[in-house]
Amino acid sequence: MPVITVYINGQKISTESGVTILEVCKANNIPMLTLCHLKGLHDIGACRLCLVEIEGVNRLLSGCTTQVADNMMIRTDTDRIKRYQRITVELFFAERNHVCAVCVANGNCELQQAGYAVGLDHIRYPFLYPECNVDTSHPWFVMDHNRCIMCTRCVRVCTQVEGAGNWGVMNRGHDVRIISDFNTPWGESSTCTDCGKCVHACPTGAIWPKAVAQGQLTKYPEMIGELVEKRKLLQ
Amino acid sequence: MNRQELTVMADQAKTKHHHFSKKVCVCCGTSCMASNAEKVLEQVQQNIDALGLKDEVEANLTGCMGLCNQGPLVKVLPDHTIYQKVEPEEVGDLLKAQFVDKQPKKDKLLFADTRPEPFVNANDDPFFKKQHKIILKNCGVINPEDIEEYIAYDGYKAFDKALNSMMPEDVIAEIKHSRLRGRGGAGYPTGMKWETVYKYVNNQKYVVCNGDEGDPGAFMNRSVLEGNPHSVLEGMMIAGYAVGASRGYAYIRGEYRLAIKRFETALKQAKKLGLLGKNILGSNFSFEVEIRIGAGAFVCGEETALIASIEGKRGTPSPRPPYPAECGLWGKPTLINNVETYANIAPIILNGGEWFSETGTAKSAGTKVFALAGKIKYSGLIEVPMGTSLREIVFDIGGGIPGDGEFKAAQTGGPSGGCIPEQHLDVGMDYESLMSLGSIMGSGGLIVMDKSSDMVDVARFFMEFCMDESCGKCAPCRVGTRMMHDLLQRIVDGKGTQHDVDRLQELAVYVKEASLCGLGGSAPNPLLSTLRHFPEEYANRLVSPEVLIHQHLEL
Repeated sequence: MPVITVYINGQKISTESGVTILEVCKANNIPMLTLCHLKGLHDIGACRLCLVEIEGVNRLLSGCTTQVADNMMIRTDTDRIKRYQRITVELFFAERNHVCAVCVANGNCELQQAGYAVGLDHIRYPFLYPECNVDTSHPWFVMDHNRCIMCTRCVRVCTQVEGAGNWGVMNRGHDVRIISDFNTPWGESSTCTDCGKCVHACPTGAIWPKAVAQGQLTKYPEMIGELVEKRKLLQ
Repeated sequence: MNRQELTVMADQAKTKHHHFSKKVCVCCGTSCMASNAEKVLEQVQQNIDALGLKDEVEANLTGCMGLCNQGPLVKVLPDHTIYQKVEPEEVGDLLKAQFVDKQPKKDKLLFADTRPEPFVNANDDPFFKKQHKIILKNCGVINPEDIEEYIAYDGYKAFDKALNSMMPEDVIAEIKHSRLRGRGGAGYPTGMKWETVYKYVNNQKYVVCNGDEGDPGAFMNRSVLEGNPHSVLEGMMIAGYAVGASRGYAYIRGEYRLAIKRFETALKQAKKLGLLGKNILGSNFSFEVEIRIGAGAFVCGEETALIASIEGKRGTPSPRPPYPAECGLWGKPTLINNVETYANIAPIILNGGEWFSETGTAKSAGTKVFALAGKIKYSGLIEVPMGTSLREIVFDIGGGIPGDGEFKAAQTGGPSGGCIPEQHLDVGMDYESLMSLGSIMGSGGLIVMDKSSDMVDVARFFMEFCMDESCGKCAPCRVGTRMMHDLLQRIVDGKGTQHDVDRLQELAVYVKEASLCGLGGSAPNPLLSTLRHFPEEYANRLVSPEVLIHQHLEL
């Protein structure tokens, strides 16, 4: 791959071409907020936290899906980007019923970390309090839709890494829900292999093992990326 | 079929149709069909036989003539006499008066109930006089279910010309020269899009036709597909030849049963004649077209979501870049254009890009079809040169506001567009002018509102539409549209404060800029444009926080 030069927040960086803005930022210790991104899965640019400004492009692009080009002038730290990141995190919190104090993922939650990162002290929008189910039908795991942020990392890990295709998405707009098979209880799934990758892929306390109590959940999402790399070596 | 056979067929078809001195066209678009047009057609055919006019008068079903709420419509050519609201039992008298007594029945003429002096030649009527038809030229004239008649009206002549006397580069140059811009709404130069797809080297490319028209109150694409499906197909075939694609997909909205049926018929007929398939007209160009039926999601009109839907996936958009021109359907270079864009192609190839660019404005060439609806005297489908002023459309063509109502605003571009107030009535309808007023051209929906309309409620209505139609993939659109809707509802309910308006302003710009696709990117337009042009309507609705607290305590 040819080496190209990009400028991120004014910093001159040499990188190989064919990589995304997010990858370049990570390699150069430039902080970039993400929620729907998980190494090892195809990026979809859905959470919009990694938005960047690029000189000459009249709209904001997601860093996880946009490849770098030679002499690209990228900004990740403008006031506008920071303001939008804060609104996005606020909307995530207001959308469903996120109560950190009673959550298994408390202290180990990517949404919570994003909240700290944007300096969230209160939420300016009315909470929507939607009615959400908690699916406890699986013998080992729980799916709590109250804490889901629709990053679809579980859907992608199940399809792209495990190959089972248990998880899917139904409905539209604010009614979207993650579903098991054709919207049947997870415990009755005919496709789920009980592998537990979705538990680790989930950034919040939406999918968790039954054996943990409040604030006790530890996840290892990096495992997914490592697994993908290991499989490549085996091929 | 080879080239010669096509010419022979065109000549034969022409002779066959020229044999008749008169033609009776019965509009069989969705709307006229719903008011019994098929029975009317039956009666027309029977009465022509009964009057012994079988050798002089030809009777046919045709596509939309543009005046959907005056249907069923019956048009007599070459006199251009149009009769409105024709009941099957009236047909006998009508035809007798027209052909035997040579005295058109005045009380059934078009607009007989609203105009003091209705016109015998409908082309003299202001509704038609200011129109300029390129796309809809043969819509309402030819039988959409008969390829022969299409060929008699120079159909597939442009395709033959492109295939046999032009290189793909020449076709693209001609389209570029015409300055045609995408009619789906965004107005991207069509020729440039074609060139981009042409330049990508790949053994498989696709041509996609976007017929997933979803704006409330819009029916331009439906009427073209119903009234002249072959013109769209011919455009797709020329596009396929120009960009080097061998397969095409026509994605048609599922609710458009008749459009799907007529396009299917068109495909079958073209295939039978060998205009689709392998080695078309003796060349080495092969092209197939398949129909894909939309399942009712507005977002599938967005090109990346449409592509996902054709692939059989959940219809959600993907971030661009990469653009479909590079990586589209099944990862292959894909050209995707709107129905109306394709319908413009054959006339451009036949008459030249120069001819096309003479119509319209410097930046927006050609004509645009609008679906006139709302509080307007004569609603329907119109085609006008780009740059025609909104005033001409509403007052000259549309006849103004019915009753003693007063014009308040016109909404262009459906839920993605904005409201244009009275002081901007003289704006020319072209891409840039509409954009500068905070609206968009969109696919051509045009809803007229009078003083009885409440603009805050209009904004709330369109926001509700976008909220329901958001696919739910990206956070700004999924949650942002819901938040904006709830805040607007609060103001409509008389519980909104200035704080809510400030939050709305902030959210609107955020959703516009941060959303993944065009749905979220344009969803705040009705809100932003009403805030800009009708701030007093918001201000009048607001209450002070003190009043709100007081009300709350009293409850």
